[in-house]
Amino acid sequence: MNLKNKKPYIVIFLFIPGCWFIGQGLYTESKAIVAQLLLEHAWNIAKAGGTRNKPWPWADTWPIARLTVPRLNIDLIVLAGDSGRTLAFGPGHNFASSTPGKKGNSLISAHRDTHFKFLQYLQPGDNIFIETAQSENTLYKVTSSKVVDMDNARFIDDQSSAYVHLVTCYPFDSIIPGGSQRLIVSARAQSVI
Amino acid sequence: MLFINTHFLKRRPRREYLNDKYTPRKSNFFIWFKRIIIILLLITLGLLLMLLGNLAYGDTRTSEFQNIEFNKLSQGSMLIKTNTSGIYQQVPLLHTDVDMHISGMIVRSNIKQQFKNISDNWIEAEYVFPLPENAAVDHMQIRIGGRIIEGRIKEKLDAKRAYEKAKRDGRKAALVEQQRPNLFTNTVANIAPGESIIVEIEYQQVLHYEQGNFSLRFPMAITPRYIPDNIQQQSTLHTSNHTSENSTEETISFSLTGWGHNTNQIQDATQITPPLQSAPNKINPVSINIKLNAGFPLEKLFSRYHNIIKQQTNDIITISLANGVTPSDRDFELVWTPQINHTPKAAVFSEKINTDYFQMLMLAPPIDGAHNGQPLARDINYIIDTSGSMHGISMHQAKQSLLMALDRLRLHDKFNIIQFNSITDQLFSHSQIASFENILIAKQYINRLKAEGGTEMAPALKLALNNPTDTYYVHQVIFLTDGSVGNESALFDIIHKNLGNSRLFTIGIGSAPNSYFMRKAAQFGRGSFTYISDVNEVNNKMTSLFSKLESPLMTDIKLHFDQNIVTEIWPERLPDLYNGEPVILAIKSDKPLQEVTLTGTRALSPWRAKLNLKTENTSKGIGIFWARKKIAALMDSIQGGANKEQVRANIIDVALTHHLVSKYTSLVAVDKIPSRPVDSRLDKTRMPVNLPHGQSTYKTFGRLPQTATSAKLNLLFGFSLMMLGLALAVLLRQPVPTQNTSNQS
Repeated sequence: MNLKNKKPYIVIFLFIPGCWFIGQGLYTESKAIVAQLLLEHAWNIAKAGGTRNKPWPWADTWPIARLTVPRLNIDLIVLAGDSGRTLAFGPGHNFASSTPGKKGNSLISAHRDTHFKFLQYLQPGDNIFIETAQSENTLYKVTSSKVVDMDNARFIDDQSSAYVHLVTCYPFDSIIPGGSQRLIVSARAQSVI
Repeated sequence: MLFINTHFLKRRPRREYLNDKYTPRKSNFFIWFKRIIIILLLITLGLLLMLLGNLAYGDTRTSEFQNIEFNKLSQGSMLIKTNTSGIYQQVPLLHTDVDMHISGMIVRSNIKQQFKNISDNWIEAEYVFPLPENAAVDHMQIRIGGRIIEGRIKEKLDAKRAYEKAKRDGRKAALVEQQRPNLFTNTVANIAPGESIIVEIEYQQVLHYEQGNFSLRFPMAITPRYIPDNIQQQSTLHTSNHTSENSTEETISFSLTGWGHNTNQIQDATQITPPLQSAPNKINPVSINIKLNAGFPLEKLFSRYHNIIKQQTNDIITISLANGVTPSDRDFELVWTPQINHTPKAAVFSEKINTDYFQMLMLAPPIDGAHNGQPLARDINYIIDTSGSMHGISMHQAKQSLLMALDRLRLHDKFNIIQFNSITDQLFSHSQIASFENILIAKQYINRLKAEGGTEMAPALKLALNNPTDTYYVHQVIFLTDGSVGNESALFDIIHKNLGNSRLFTIGIGSAPNSYFMRKAAQFGRGSFTYISDVNEVNNKMTSLFSKLESPLMTDIKLHFDQNIVTEIWPERLPDLYNGEPVILAIKSDKPLQEVTLTGTRALSPWRAKLNLKTENTSKGIGIFWARKKIAALMDSIQGGANKEQVRANIIDVALTHHLVSKYTSLVAVDKIPSRPVDSRLDKTRMPVNLPHGQSTYKTFGRLPQTATSAKLNLLFGFSLMMLGLALAVLLRQPVPTQNTSNQS
C-alpha cells in the first residue's frame, strides 16, 4: 500500500464532494434566478386574471405582488408565504401580516445573499413600489433600517397607514447561515386611502 | 515513512532505483510534506480570515447604520419648530375632563378637551383621540371664556371647507372628524398666545352586557404609528416641509426610536400619526367622573385598571378616579354585576322623535346550564390541513389538537376526519359514532398523516359542509389550518353557499397563520376562530373551544310583531347566541309597538318570549342608538358587496338627520367674529399623545424566517475541497520530473 497508488482516489475523493458542494451552491443561486423568470410569467397571468396562479404545477405558493426599487434596478416577484421552501424562489409575504398596499404592517422576507442582497444599499427616503394583482403600484418611502433579534421584532399595530417591512438576515456577508440577527427596512406608503 | 518513500519510486525503472541515493529523496519528501502542510494552513487561515472579516465588517456596518440615522435626527421633546428657522415653541397643554351618565343601557359622555396655548404665537392644534367603537358622536361646542359656539353636522367636505375658511379669516373654529369608527380628530384653529379654549364633545354608547355582567370601556390609549421595537428611547423630533394647495406649512412628527426618518408629506387628513410622548413624562391628564344609575342593587362594582372612589346617594353611585387624574395611556374599564335575583332578563327603552317611535330591546335568553336538559348531540367533521406549508411544528400542533379533540367526544357524538393537501381524503365514508374502536382507528389515521403537497382547500370544505347528517345532530366543522391560501374570497363564497345548518370553527395553527382568512371564514361560517400559536397552548385553547361547542347555541332568532306597523329594525339578521349573550335590537316604527314575540331554537327545543313593550318612561338617546346601529350595519354591507355610493348616500342621510359624526359627516363649529389679525402668523401643532401602557398594542409576527441560504458556505467548502484535491494532485506529481532530470544529467 502506498500513497502513489491511492492518489487518484484521494483526489477523486476530494473532488467529488467539492463538485457536489459547488453544485449545491450554484443550484441555490440559480434556482433563485430561474424561479424569478418562471414567476414573471405566472405573475403576468395573475395580473391579467386577478386570481391566484401557480408558477409550476406542484408549487405550494403563487405570486402576489411585484416589488421594484428603481434606483437600484431591483424588480422582484413576491410570493405568498415565507416558509423556507418559498424563500428559495423569491421574497415571501408573511400571511399573518397585512396585504401589501393595504393598511397595517406588511412583512416581506427574502434571503440576504440572493433576492434581498440590495437591502444593504437602501437609504431612508428611497422609493419602493409594490404592485399587487388587485391594486395599482403603491409608492412606499423608506423610513428606517434596523437590526433586531429574530425573536424580538415588534411592530406598532397602526391600522391608519400602510407599512411594508423588508426582512433579511444580518450581517450580509456572513458565510454561515442561521444567525439570529435580522435587518428590517421599513417603508411607509405615501398614497393609501 | 519508509513505505511512503518507496512508493514514490515504484513506477520508475529498476535500474534507476538502484542508482538512486537515499538522502536527496528524503529531503524532497520533506519539502513536499511541508508544502502540503503550508497550503493546508494557508487555506484554513484564509477561511478563518474571511469569517473574521465578515464578523468585523458586519459590526462596523451596524454602527454605521446608527450613525447615519442619528446624525439626521435631533433630540427634543415637546418643542415644535416654527416657520422661523432655529426658533422652537412649546406645544399647547391639554387637559381632558370626562363626565359620564349611565342610565339603563345607555351611557352619555361629555368630554371637555382644554387646550392651553403657552407659546407666543397663534396656533392651530390637531388632536387625535380614541373613542369606543360604537360611540355615536352627536354634539360639539367651543367654549372661549364665557362664549359658546355650537357645532353643526355637515358632510365631511363641507365641514372641512367651512373650517378652512374660518381658519383663513382668523376666526376660531373646531372640526371633529371620524378617521375610523374608534378614532377621531379634533382640530382647533386660531388659539391666541396664552389663551385657553375648551372643546366639548358629547357621545353616546351602549353598555356591554354578557353573562350577567355590565361593562363600560373608555379608551384612552391610542394605537400609535409604526415604530420598530425599542420604545424606551427618548422621543426625537424633526420637521418636514409640507406643501398644501395654497400655502407652505410646517408639519411635525415625532419618532421614538431614533430610527424614523420622516420624509412623508402629509397630504391626507386620514393618515393620522400623532407625535408620541414616551415614559416617564406622561402628558394629557384625564379626570373621569361617572354617575351610575344602574336601576338595580349591585353585587359588585369595580374598575379593572384604575383605582376608583365610589359614593352612593339614593339610587345613584358616583365614581371618580382615586388619583384625581390619570395620564391617558391605558383604557378605563368599569364593570358591575347585579345582585343575583336582580339580573335583568329583558329591557325596553323608548323615545319619540317627531312622528317616529324608537325602541331599544334587550333580551337575555335563559342561561342553559351544562347539567340541565339533554347534552348536545353533535356530528363533528374535523378538517386537517396536511399541505406542505404545515410541515414541521405546525403539523405536530395540529395532530396534538386533533388527538385531544377526539378524547373530548362522547358516545352519542358522531365524527369524521378529512385531510387535504393537493388531494382530499376522508377517514370514513360517512360520520361514525364515537365508539372506542372508531376513535382508535382515527388516532392511527392521524398519526400517519404527513404534510406535503399543495393547499387545495375548496374540495375539503365542500365535502365537510355537505356531509349529510341527521337533523338530530348539531353539525359542526372544525378546521385546523395555517390558512396559507390566496383565494380567500372564493373560499368565503363556498362557506356562504354550503353552510346550511352547519357551523364552521377555525383553529389557526403555527407561528404565523393567515388569521384574516380564518377570522372571516369563522364569521361566514357562524362559528368562532381560535388561535393556537404554541404546542403548550393546545390543551387550554381546545378546552375552552370545546366548552363553547358543547353548550347549545340559540339559533334562528326571529322577531314577530304586528305586521300593520311599518318598521325598520337593525341588525336585519339576528346573529346566533352563545350562552349568556343577549339579543339587542334597534327598532324604528311609525306607531308604537305594543307587543313583540322573540322566537329561537336551542337544542332542538323552541324558545319563545313575549314582551310587552308598553312603557311609560321615555329615555333619551334611543333615536341616536338606532341611527348608530343603522350606520354600522350600512358600513358592514359594503363588505358584503353593497353599492358604495348608495351606502354613502344612505349614511349621510341618517347621520345628518340624527346629527351624528360618521365616515362621511363631521361636526364643525365656527365663530362669527375674527380674533386673529390676518397679518399674524398661524402655527400648526399636532398634539402629542402617550404611548400605550405596556406593550399589548405591539404587533408581533412570531419568529422571523431564516433568510440566508447555505449557498455561499457550500460554494466555499466545495471550492476548498477542490483546491485541496488539486494541490495534492499537483504536489504528488511534481517530484517525478525533477527526479528524472536529475537522474538523466
